[in-house]
Amino acid sequence: MRSIRARLVMALIVVFALVSALAAITTYRRVLDETSTLFDYQLRQMALSLRNQISLAPRIEVPPDQGDTDFVIQIWDLFGSRMYLSRPGLPMINQTVLGYANLTLQGQPWRAYGLQTAAGVIQIAQPVSVRQRLASAAALRIVVPLILLLPVLIVFVAWIVGHGLLPLRRLTAEVQRRDALSLAPLVSDGLPGEIEPLVAELNRLLDRLREAFAAQRHFIADAAHELRSPLTALRLQMQLLDRAPDAVAQREARERLGLAVERSIHLVEQLLALARSEPQGAPTNAEPVDLSAIAAQAITDTHALALSRRIELGLDSPGSGSPGALLRGDPEALRALVRNLVDNAVRYTLPGGSVQVTCRSAADGVWLEVCDTGPGLDAADRERVFDRFYRRPAAQEPGTGLGLAIVKAVAERHGANITLGDAPGGGLRVTVQFPVAP
Amino acid sequence: MRVLLVEDDAMIATGLTTALRQAGFAVDWLNDGHGAHAALQTTEFDLVLLDLGLPQRDGIAVLREFRQRGAVTPVIILTARDEIQSRITGLDAGADDYIVKPFDLDEVLARMRSVLRRAAGRGDSHIVHGDLRLDPVTRTVERGGVPVAVSAHEYSVLEALLQRPGAVLSRTQLEDRLYGWNESIASNAVEVYIHGLRRKLGPDCIRTLRGVGYFVPKT
Repeated sequence: MRSIRARLVMALIVVFALVSALAAITTYRRVLDETSTLFDYQLRQMALSLRNQISLAPRIEVPPDQGDTDFVIQIWDLFGSRMYLSRPGLPMINQTVLGYANLTLQGQPWRAYGLQTAAGVIQIAQPVSVRQRLASAAALRIVVPLILLLPVLIVFVAWIVGHGLLPLRRLTAEVQRRDALSLAPLVSDGLPGEIEPLVAELNRLLDRLREAFAAQRHFIADAAHELRSPLTALRLQMQLLDRAPDAVAQREARERLGLAVERSIHLVEQLLALARSEPQGAPTNAEPVDLSAIAAQAITDTHALALSRRIELGLDSPGSGSPGALLRGDPEALRALVRNLVDNAVRYTLPGGSVQVTCRSAADGVWLEVCDTGPGLDAADRERVFDRFYRRPAAQEPGTGLGLAIVKAVAERHGANITLGDAPGGGLRVTVQFPVAP
Repeated sequence: MRVLLVEDDAMIATGLTTALRQAGFAVDWLNDGHGAHAALQTTEFDLVLLDLGLPQRDGIAVLREFRQRGAVTPVIILTARDEIQSRITGLDAGADDYIVKPFDLDEVLARMRSVLRRAAGRGDSHIVHGDLRLDPVTRTVERGGVPVAVSAHEYSVLEALLQRPGAVLSRTQLEDRLYGWNESIASNAVEVYIHGLRRKLGPDCIRTLRGVGYFVPKT
């Protein structure tokens, strides 16, 4: 992991180097161009100024050049013999080119100008290196201050970045202080625009966490609260058993104690079923299951209760020959769903009524329908029956208030839709539509 | 002693009713707030045991209205809500005591006696009148230090009359103290108990105000 500061400093150095190089090259080339024009002009002027002197004194002995100029002057007469060479040591070129020319001498490039006069030919030559030296010097004058400026810039950038990252450090410290209990939103005031989206996302995550934790706490509080009632009944019946005055009272107390124990067990089982089906997301034990088989099993489970209440309980399913109502899901959870629906229907239907379960597979999914001839549900109850521990005010039947909450949780986990409607017989019709298996 | 039990959990209510009847109380059970409200308006109870999480109308609302009408009948809240705030709300709404589920039966009975004692303006749990001494815990009667054997119903009649010596209680009022709504009463039951008490404690212990009712003279 590399820090933003190091990255920025590195980038700055690279960019600075490139800019410096570019500036140096440009300067060098431009200065070279300018000096070339200037020196070319000078070469020509020198040649022109020498023109008259040749004609005046064609063979004067000019003292050789002492070497403080770069120019080399050669003069030839009309017959091609050199009349003058300003720097005798140099093995100068023998051929003359009229006008400007680039020559190579001893491996070095020269620039020359030849002029034809009435008395002969004058050639002025100069090493190109002179021009290059001038251009280099100019380029250097541009680059050196830039290079000297670099450390100052680096320090400045490092400081700016450090300063700019202060809010991030503050944020880190704030996040470090957080735990499961302190999930309040992070303060986004005064944060740079680049970090604000991150903080906004973090806050949304904290929000979801807080909700999830609150739901969990709520559930535990509810569960603990709901456990009190069966435990109260249990303790009460136990104490009544202790103080039963006669055998009849004793038997009665023992029976009721048994019922209270059954009730506690039922509540704990329902709580467990709900806890297992609560977690969000796809079912963990998804496997291909036949909903009609599960419905048949659930009906078998509830058969005894229906019989004792003289309720006609029936299943209408595709039958044994057909492939059934296939879907992908958690068989244990689906069994709890069907069982709770059928159980509810049987409990709230008056003796002599009927409960009809239908299971079918269609193009738009797998349908489960439970119709009863009970009293049905009014609109206010329809909104609340799926709440945990909600029991209808008029409910006389013993129950935990968890059955439909389990149904809802299982349905949600399977992506199924639940609809409450009116059954043909005047009772409640619960429809669960499962999406088609992929 | 007639007790109204308001409790929506049938299992708890059945158990409590049995226990309270065994302890000599006449018990009426209701399972919702509306019914409780109506019953408190029409019937005289000695004590109310009130659950808070009731269908249709919350126990606290029932209690507030009851107290606003100026009723002083002792009320004990029996609830699963154990938060401090809930206790404070309950007591401030007019409850005389607050018991959290799961409760102990003996504790409930002791608290009921304690609340009844305070309602009758007595510090001692015994009811003393002249040389008579009643023990509400054991439901026994002593006269001049000698135990007198009385039946449970006889005790209830005597206790009712001794709550406010000098006050006249009609036969119907006494029947109300003895029986809940669903209990069948023999038409002359109260006369039988009064007769029994007079036989055991002396003919002058309970006087008759002809056409009105019975009373125990002040000492």
